[in-house]
Amino acid sequence: MNTGTNTAKDLNHEMYVEAHTAACGCEPIDQTYSLGYVKGHEDWSPFPRVNRLRQTFLDRPFNIDIERFRNVTESYREHEGEPAVLRCAYAFESILKNATLYIYDDDLILGEIAAPAKASPQYPEFSVNWMLHEALYEPFEEREHDQFYFASEEDRQEFIELCGYWKGRAVDDYVNARLDDEMTKGSQTGRKIFQTNLYHYGGVGHLVMNYEKILRIGYDGMIAEAKAGLDRITKKDPDYVEKRDFYRAVIICHEAAKMYIERYARLAGEKAFEAKDPARKQELLQMAANCHQLAGGPAESFWQALQLFNFATTMTQIESNGHSISYGRMDQWLYPYYEADIRKGVISKEYAQELLEVTFVKMNNPTKIRDGGTARVRQGRGFGGECLTIGGVDRNGRDATNDLTMMMLDASVHTRMMCPWLLVRMHEDTPYELKVKTVECIRAGYGHPKIFNDAPTIKAQMRKGQTLEEARDYAVVGCVEPNLPYREYGWHDASYINTVKFMEMVLNGGRCLDCGPHCPRWDKCGALGDHLGPDTGSLETYENMDQVLESVDRQFDYWCDQMCATMNIVDRAHRERKPLPYLSAFFEGCLEDGVDVTAGGTRYNGIGPQASGLATCADSLAAIKQLVFDEKKYTGAELLQALKDNWKGHEKLYALINSPKVHHYGNDDDYADEFFRFMFECYCRHLTGRKTIRGGEFTPGVYSVSANVGMGLNTNASLDGRKAGEAISDNMGPVHTDAGSHDIQGPIGIAHSIAKVDHSLATNGTLLNLKFPQEAVKGIEGRDNLISYIDEYLAGGPMHVQFNIMSSATMKAAQKHPEDYKDMLVRVAGYSAYFVELGKALQKDLIQRTDLEF
Amino acid sequence: MTAEGTVFNIQHFTIHDGPGIRTEVFLKGCPLHCLWCSNPESLKAEVQPGVYRKKCIGRKNCGACEEACPRTDAGAGGGLAKAGRTASPLRFYRNRLVAIDYTLCNGCMACAEACPSEAVKAWGRRMTADQIMQEVRRDKGYYDRSGGGITVSGGEPLLQTELTAELFRQCREEGIHTCCETCLCIPWERVEELLPLTDLWIADLKMMDPEKHRAFTGAGNERILENLQKLAGNPETELILRIPVIPGVNDNMENMRQTADFILGEMQGNVRTLQLLSYMRLGMEKYESLGLPYQMTDRLKEAHFRRDYFQRKVRNFADYFNSRGIHTLVGTREKQ
Repeated sequence: MNTGTNTAKDLNHEMYVEAHTAACGCEPIDQTYSLGYVKGHEDWSPFPRVNRLRQTFLDRPFNIDIERFRNVTESYREHEGEPAVLRCAYAFESILKNATLYIYDDDLILGEIAAPAKASPQYPEFSVNWMLHEALYEPFEEREHDQFYFASEEDRQEFIELCGYWKGRAVDDYVNARLDDEMTKGSQTGRKIFQTNLYHYGGVGHLVMNYEKILRIGYDGMIAEAKAGLDRITKKDPDYVEKRDFYRAVIICHEAAKMYIERYARLAGEKAFEAKDPARKQELLQMAANCHQLAGGPAESFWQALQLFNFATTMTQIESNGHSISYGRMDQWLYPYYEADIRKGVISKEYAQELLEVTFVKMNNPTKIRDGGTARVRQGRGFGGECLTIGGVDRNGRDATNDLTMMMLDASVHTRMMCPWLLVRMHEDTPYELKVKTVECIRAGYGHPKIFNDAPTIKAQMRKGQTLEEARDYAVVGCVEPNLPYREYGWHDASYINTVKFMEMVLNGGRCLDCGPHCPRWDKCGALGDHLGPDTGSLETYENMDQVLESVDRQFDYWCDQMCATMNIVDRAHRERKPLPYLSAFFEGCLEDGVDVTAGGTRYNGIGPQASGLATCADSLAAIKQLVFDEKKYTGAELLQALKDNWKGHEKLYALINSPKVHHYGNDDDYADEFFRFMFECYCRHLTGRKTIRGGEFTPGVYSVSANVGMGLNTNASLDGRKAGEAISDNMGPVHTDAGSHDIQGPIGIAHSIAKVDHSLATNGTLLNLKFPQEAVKGIEGRDNLISYIDEYLAGGPMHVQFNIMSSATMKAAQKHPEDYKDMLVRVAGYSAYFVELGKALQKDLIQRTDLEF
Repeated sequence: MTAEGTVFNIQHFTIHDGPGIRTEVFLKGCPLHCLWCSNPESLKAEVQPGVYRKKCIGRKNCGACEEACPRTDAGAGGGLAKAGRTASPLRFYRNRLVAIDYTLCNGCMACAEACPSEAVKAWGRRMTADQIMQEVRRDKGYYDRSGGGITVSGGEPLLQTELTAELFRQCREEGIHTCCETCLCIPWERVEELLPLTDLWIADLKMMDPEKHRAFTGAGNERILENLQKLAGNPETELILRIPVIPGVNDNMENMRQTADFILGEMQGNVRTLQLLSYMRLGMEKYESLGLPYQMTDRLKEAHFRRDYFQRKVRNFADYFNSRGIHTLVGTREKQ
């Protein structure tokens, strides 16, 4: 078929027919924004208002605001002894009644989280133990990162006093009273094999509200539904009282929401009266009118839709500090409002774009202070996880791209902020134009958007019992967790699992490698001849690889038992102590059945913990198989000793294990990739099928975000050539030790390796970060190559990918920490080397040249 | 029977030598020895060990290379070693391996195989066409999507014509685009053999002056020019021509003018793209590993080399070629 004059490119066009779309934003489809990070650039947006809002946001400090703390405490005191769901509703009402309202200059969208922009309120309902401890002994302002500041010394004093009321009444107190030693020894309070911090000390979040519904029927509609529910239930129902209280609570919350929006309407009106600038006066009047309409009524325009979206979302964040309140498929649910306004000529496409960008900046305002332990593994002071999903297929499997898909990508690259966490769903028929725009954003190098693959994700959703039509409607919440909007309360991100710590138990007869009297648990564990985990054998005794793998399996079973039992207690604590009546109205099933979302009121009710360090374990197993059982160069006892010695005195073994002479995951090498698959499947198998108390099932995820660094700190040496304290492997990624990266075959090698597991088994999501040099994505050819790479990567079946596009600044960083950049390609014609392999002088030359060429 | 040859690298995801995403196979051995060569490990046809002294973890900790080297104790045993007169080709300094004495080394590569830390690197390995194809084939999906394929480079791929031809034949059968990057300093018959199998040629025209060419690359350019003319004479040929622009060597207007004349005259303008590659100070650590001197350093001093001026100069050359109607770009791209 090849005639010699035909280039492969021609053939290519016959093989892959590209889909196309007429959808278009304000910018050309193939607009190039920038290549990599550009320092000090402040006006990416064509709208000066957006640039000003962005800058104002960046310049504002992170504060602690105690208004919510005060209001909620007062309300709880007043309603002592009443049912929990009603106390929650009264507190919510009290907050909305008393919160100070803010309207910022230039803003077009109103509503904060009952605190000034970028100030964190407190949520004592979940836990005050850490708040009190840190306020007294580890001040928030003295943290190494994620600092927060009290406005005054009076505030700090009041904060400490308010904590007093909550002792014993919070969610975490409920949990703590029920944990047994087997559970605590493995959790964050023990040896940190699994960490359930997030929902133990805070709200759950990780959901998508029913925006379609609130935009369509408004708060009046919600209240009407709750009232109808109240009329429907009878005293013949054994749960009559619970349902009655639930409906009453919903009504209180949504009446309060109306009152709150009306307060904004009045304030906007007052501001308009004072405004000197006629244009601003007009805007404020329109905002006041929007609020009047939305205090009960549905959204009647694009602007109102965005406004109501923001009110609905921020009130969920006022009710609870659960993060990753994600926006669902925003290009889909928002589209009817855009389409109608454009058709009627109410707004121009440009004004729609400006409103979108204002909203994007606004999304950054909510801020959440986390406990110090969580902050250490999960850095960043934003509320977090506001994933916004665009693209993908519709419920019938057809491509869903529309103008807003393109406009949201433009808005993202024009604002370049932490939020929203933009995500593009891709599938076989994703139009070429959308791929081009997505890749243009990616190579702008600001970290958004990430890409999700429809095929494996839809399969994963169906594994959770969803129909094909439901599965196709997935959106992503938080980092990479697939979720069915407003029908799935998935408790994603529920617990971090350190599988490398499991591996310690596997290698060392159920004990930590550093087991000894220095351990705080020694008195009830090692000193009694006991073990932290079950004794499932040790490297000194295993006779073959099957025994090792069997041992891994048994450790997983034991620790998953402990973790799931713990999570079920945490789940019950939220149901008992902190129902969410405001939120529940936004979930399908809750208003129909009169059941709160925390009690399993909606359709899908999973809990999704996530594993870290799988590659570290895989490379460890590959080393054992190769060195002990295949080549018989070392005995198991020798390997174990090397770990106990933290590699000291075992330099040769250390070098060997970190060299390509030993099989490593991530290089399209079946020997090691098989062990990654084993670890992945073993973990998924042990979680899948376990029941949650809300009638759902546990859902495994494989991602660590940045928690692998913090986990590594508590983990002894491992057989992948990692020293004690170094980070364990991240997400689905290969191992990087201080001695160097273990994947040396470049981006295609890792793509092949990662495609060897069935990603749909990880129903709580998988994550892969890839680094690309700017050089590789330069010019039209670079753009097209990246598109081709993504297409083929996704065709292999992984669920997710995101890129780091590097600049010369990155190269300089690579000079300082070469071990982290080993796979960074620098390719000049005919030259075959990786950047870090080069000498200092030519690295410098390359950096200079790179700077000159852009 | 499948053809066999010496390969010094197989690089996946290359995007600079030919269109799309490619796998590049680097073959060892080259008829030229250009002063600025960035792949000095490619010059010699045989497999050879190289030393990365910084990676050595020390004789006391390890000693694997000494144990493995068949020459270490040749005849002499420990006595000579203690006297510092061992027949071993391995040279140590302060406990670390720093060099290999190639006059004593028999090239068996036992040291490279034994070294746990990659301090001794094997430059090159013998591979069959089938083995290479196994690696190339894996990435076919990427070639198909991007319009990429295989590029055989080096060294000089036409010194191992049999292997290159076999690879291209197999690629053709499997629908993989083929690209040959050659210096063309080889008999025409070898080019001719590859002609029907090659979708794209990448060749250098380093400089027009034959004497200078001889001085800087070790061979005259007569045969290269002749081969270029013949190659361009074939109407089916897809050819990317490259000029590595080297400070103080060929970075003068006269050379560029003559080159343009040659392209438009003798080659009838049959060049898909002319690419100007700015000199890069690359490969120094490889020179070091082989114990070879890097001779460009002096040349750069003489030429008062400054990257920013130089880069501008190269762009001006590109403008000149474009003004003469030759599609020219700086770098390895074909589109602006």
